[in-house]
Amino acid sequence: MTNTLVGKPVDRVDGRLKVTGGARYSAEFNAAGLLHAALVLSTVSKGKITAIDTAAAEAAPGVRSVLTHRNAPKLKEPKPDFANGGGIRNEERIPLSDDKIGYGGQYVALVVADTFERAAHAASLVRVSYAAEPPELNKEQASATKRKPKENDQGEKTQLKKGDVAAALADASLVKIEATYETPTETHNPMEPSATVAMWEGEDRLVVFDATQYVKGTQDVVAQAFGLQRAQVRVICPFVGGGFGCKGAVWPHTILAAMAAKVVKAPVKLSLSRHAMFSGTGHRTPTTQKVALAASRDGKLHAIRHHVETLMSPFGEFVETCGARSTGVMYASPAIEVEETLYEVNVAPPTFMRAPGECPGTYALECALDELSYALKMDPVALRLANHADNHPFKNKPFSAKHLKEAYALGAEKFGWSRRKPEPRAMRDGPLLVGWGMATATYPGYKMNAEAKARLNADGTARVQCATHDLGTGAYTIFTQISAQTLGVPLEKVTFELGSSDLPFGPVAGGSNSTATVGSAIYDAAQDLHNQLIALAVLDPQSPLRGLNPGDVALAAPGQLGSKSQPAKTDSFAEILRRAGKEFVEGEARMKPESKEAPPFEFQSFGAHFVEVKIDPAVPRVQVSRVVSVMNCGQIINPKTARSQVLGGVIMGIGMALEEETVYDPPTGLPVTRNLADYHVPVNADAPSVEAYFVGEPDYHFNPLGARGLGEIGITGAAAAVANAVFHATGQRVRDLPITPDKLLI
Amino acid sequence: MTDSDFQSLPPTRRDFLRQLAAAGAAVTLAPYFLAPSFAEARETAAAGAMETALSPVPAGPEAVDVTLTINGAKQTLKLDPRVSLLDALRERLNLTGSKKGCDHGQCGACTVLVNGRRINSCLSLAVTHEGDEVITIEGLAQGNELHPVQSAFIKHDGFQCGYCTPGQICSAVACIAEGHTKHDDEIREWMSGNLCRCGAYPNIVAAINEAKGQPQPALKRQLSSVS
Ligand code: FES
Ligand code: FES
Repeated sequence: MTNTLVGKPVDRVDGRLKVTGGARYSAEFNAAGLLHAALVLSTVSKGKITAIDTAAAEAAPGVRSVLTHRNAPKLKEPKPDFANGGGIRNEERIPLSDDKIGYGGQYVALVVADTFERAAHAASLVRVSYAAEPPELNKEQASATKRKPKENDQGEKTQLKKGDVAAALADASLVKIEATYETPTETHNPMEPSATVAMWEGEDRLVVFDATQYVKGTQDVVAQAFGLQRAQVRVICPFVGGGFGCKGAVWPHTILAAMAAKVVKAPVKLSLSRHAMFSGTGHRTPTTQKVALAASRDGKLHAIRHHVETLMSPFGEFVETCGARSTGVMYASPAIEVEETLYEVNVAPPTFMRAPGECPGTYALECALDELSYALKMDPVALRLANHADNHPFKNKPFSAKHLKEAYALGAEKFGWSRRKPEPRAMRDGPLLVGWGMATATYPGYKMNAEAKARLNADGTARVQCATHDLGTGAYTIFTQISAQTLGVPLEKVTFELGSSDLPFGPVAGGSNSTATVGSAIYDAAQDLHNQLIALAVLDPQSPLRGLNPGDVALAAPGQLGSKSQPAKTDSFAEILRRAGKEFVEGEARMKPESKEAPPFEFQSFGAHFVEVKIDPAVPRVQVSRVVSVMNCGQIINPKTARSQVLGGVIMGIGMALEEETVYDPPTGLPVTRNLADYHVPVNADAPSVEAYFVGEPDYHFNPLGARGLGEIGITGAAAAVANAVFHATGQRVRDLPITPDKLLI
Repeated sequence: MTDSDFQSLPPTRRDFLRQLAAAGAAVTLAPYFLAPSFAEARETAAAGAMETALSPVPAGPEAVDVTLTINGAKQTLKLDPRVSLLDALRERLNLTGSKKGCDHGQCGACTVLVNGRRINSCLSLAVTHEGDEVITIEGLAQGNELHPVQSAFIKHDGFQCGYCTPGQICSAVACIAEGHTKHDDEIREWMSGNLCRCGAYPNIVAAINEAKGQPQPALKRQLSSVS
């Protein structure tokens, strides 16, 4: 494979569509006769609906239907099998199926009208009466529901133990840190609110334009709900306006839109309001994390204990695996204990949000390491180097292509870390306090199932397909690059298609798996396509390759096959197809993630963040002024889009550290910060210059492209690096995020 | 931002019309999947399932007539007075380039230029725009030639998911015209009404720095004629 495209900073192939307004997102597929739906959200968090008065809404102009639990069609409860290509549900309850209220914001009615304005007005006329009970909102109130899940939704172990943690923590000769770190509820808030346009073709065919990170998953769940075969449901989503995890599961609104379209026998559009996005599409659960460390004077860890408490809803289990996914992989320590505890509260279901587990988990672990560095009077980077793990702490296998030490070294150099004065409050910029902090980042290399189809046409163009997704990750672009390179066709001749359930299977765009998974499937499909061409050539009496052993023939140059043993013998794609009288050839591949034997390596990416903050002591608002992030993710397919992924992760991490918090009203359980004025995400003025670098080498143990995905690693460790910089600037250790100015006032 | 910040901005109606005439009226059609390599993706996405032209939207007895110029083309619409300018664009005119991120004036995804000023079109009722000149993201390119801000966004990867992008670009065009681009911090401050959850901010600043030095085809002409 000659490297002409992979690794090049190609401009996004969908860039022109995005800058001209031509990219269509789910709410923008307007069908003839389209009707509009508006939701009524529960204003209590626990109890029962006692009465619903829909008369005024039904009589309002333009209204076609008002659905409530009294008249909604009964659907089947989908049971998706994710491990075998099925969908994902975090709310395991068909909307409007009964009178029970489990969380504030739960959908209690849906109004369909001929315009958006009329639907919204009519929805405001629906009167709902409740028998409300006081909601349980935190772990104290929900103590009766406490439990320790054995596994998370991906079947990973959540409770881990090795060595004698208690003994090390009791050893008086060791230096100890014990602290509790808290992170609040955070809400994804992609700029595109979730939306579904549903239309039936007859009784048994459904087309759904849905904002989703998983078209095949939506297809599966929706088909099950309506008792259809998958092939009877088409799900289409060529562009996603950001997801960060909240569009991975199938949420109630998607099912409701299809239900409403069936009832009114017309296409229905249901766009969530920003308000509804705070309960309707998941959030990151709040976490309470108790971390204890014991280390000898040389910095070597003797024990790490990481106990995590998180919350879930009454309608489905979700474990934010903070401990296992940070402490469980990060440092070499003879004794490690991880515990994850769940409580069930009257809050909408949580879901995965960018680096679920790793993100809050690394915040706690990496802040604790920072505290230890001060206790030991040891440089934070040196402390991490002293505990570097060559092998996975629990699996006793070496990490494949781990280059974390280089990441620390390059980051420290680019940042100027050697000029750091170790004591807190020692660095200033005029009146401003300056703080420098760092933290380690990590995210596993995941691979899932995927299929890909590649077609090479006689005119030299190619089309490659997989039902994957581009959430802004650059998928259109990098898969076009990978297709062009593996097929041996110029970039501008390749069309890569994604975002439709009509295409070969693609997995959820989650877990940063897409590059490795779909990229490998494309690679294999290209091989398959070349094999067809080779077969044509070696059997063709007019081909210079005639009679050669097919194993001796391979892609020699773009558009050309050649003999490996006799390089002078070549033949072009175009000639092979022309002589064979073929319009095109097609290749296919089906990728399965794991072979029977477990690989001898662990696949995990690592990196490091170095952060500078500046704080006016009079008004202690933290401004992040500079970030250097160095990541080790194997082969980078496109440095331009890869850098953007890291930038985006870091900036979201700054939001997590300093701004973001979904607050629930204690008496009602309703989210109070349910709009973008009250829930603060970083704005342009909050974002510093971020330098992103990549180190390491292609990880060919992991896949033939050597790539490990990088959508999530950028946010891991980022909040810790900011919090550690804040401590360095002020001498104050804030252990509950976000670090708002009030927490820094003494 | 106070009103006085805009003192130098408002163009005369005549200047504006001249500029729009130069831009041509062809831009009223949404450039739906412009790039040739997306022709097939479009087919996959749209096959048998949608129409690009909207069916007439019922307006009801309370409907009000409003005439406004959008991307150079005069439009007379019969609208429910509750329809926001954003929904008029997206739901009535199929100009879906302007995005709805919050519908509350809190995110900037719906930013368009009205009489040369950037506004949040979700916060503004369409019927209040009688006689106004509206430019949306669909009206910035001249035929196949992108506006310099659009090209700079591609070059500097000033977006990821692209959902905030039309608003960012319209806002950036106005920001440059306002002269609020002297240094990075000024750009950051004056672009802070446009949220980007993907966190493309550093690249947006880089794109604006690149574009600000180039001739600004439409808006510049219009604004420079204000004396
Ligand atoms: S949609 Fe108008 S500001 Fe958010
Ligand atoms: S590019 Fe996704 S929100 Fe800005």
